[in-house]
Amino acid sequence: MTQDSALTAALQAVLAAEDAAIFGYGVAGAYLAGTRQAAARACWDDHKSARDTVTAMLAARGARPAAAQAAYRLPFEVRTADRAVALAVYLEDGVTTAYLGVVAAGGPAARQFGALAMQQCAVRAVRWRGASVAFPGIPAAGPRSPQRPERSRSAPPAA
Amino acid sequence: MPADPSRRRMLALTALGAAGVAGAGGCGRIRPWSAPPTQAPDVDVLAGVIAAERSMISRYRSVISGFPGLGPALTSLLRQHEEHLAQLQGRLVVPPGSPYRPSPSPSGGSQAPAGLPATAAAALAYLRAAERDEAAALVRRLATVTVTPSLAQLMASIGASEASHEAVLASAALLHAPHSAGATAQ
Repeated sequence: MTQDSALTAALQAVLAAEDAAIFGYGVAGAYLAGTRQAAARACWDDHKSARDTVTAMLAARGARPAAAQAAYRLPFEVRTADRAVALAVYLEDGVTTAYLGVVAAGGPAARQFGALAMQQCAVRAVRWRGASVAFPGIPAAGPRSPQRPERSRSAPPAA
Repeated sequence: MPADPSRRRMLALTALGAAGVAGAGGCGRIRPWSAPPTQAPDVDVLAGVIAAERSMISRYRSVISGFPGLGPALTSLLRQHEEHLAQLQGRLVVPPGSPYRPSPSPSGGSQAPAGLPATAAAALAYLRAAERDEAAALVRRLATVTVTPSLAQLMASIGASEASHEAVLASAALLHAPHSAGATAQ
């Protein structure tokens, strides 16, 4: 895969993640109230704006932006405010990981774009998670590298 | 720069093969080192990011030492910086005898700047500014340097973590406003 086609594929993955986040925040907002509902609305707006940006980037590359689905299967049942907050965390983590693909696939401009988008996702995730993580977008225990036993106990305490 | 036991694990990412063979042509015997080995491009970038991460850790340790009341709010952030440093150092390996020594980043050495802020609120603001600056610096580096995709991802992820730290510190600042009791350095 050339860098060009790899970046297009990565941007399509971001678009899919943004579409899923837009759908998911619509669900989450229905189970939240007050300031948390307002925050969900602000996140929903952010993701719609990001979706439009990525759609335009794909079109400018001559690619056909993948269409959003009518509905998405949620990762778990959302019937309470707590589950809605957990969904918001899940959505931000998913979008962050998608932008990580852009960082790996692109040249300097795409890396910068992806890295800035990851920062925005990570800041929104703090709002829902109530804490930061060491390696946003990188699933599980962080980047793959030789694990040193003395580091394995350094997971931050739950906030 | 303070001694760091992790240095012992470092091994240079050098273009050994290319440099070692390139000078051998036509001279009838192999000269192992016709030119000093060149560093892979990741090494200098890694060294700079590592120096900045050490500097951040020093700042946190200074603030926690000066304002123990901030410890509960800051310890998890400090630990995440230590995880960043461990991951970065795990990618930088220097063979014994290599002339390579990690050099401090132009944007900051391994020591926190001298002079602790006078109040807890000012200390939080100081850390917020440092996190914001470093998150921005990582993005700039990604746009201007050549690195492998996996290092680019690690740098982007660390930058996202640091941007989120600023958000965490902003929340902590609400609990340590200037009028709070016990807000003087110890």
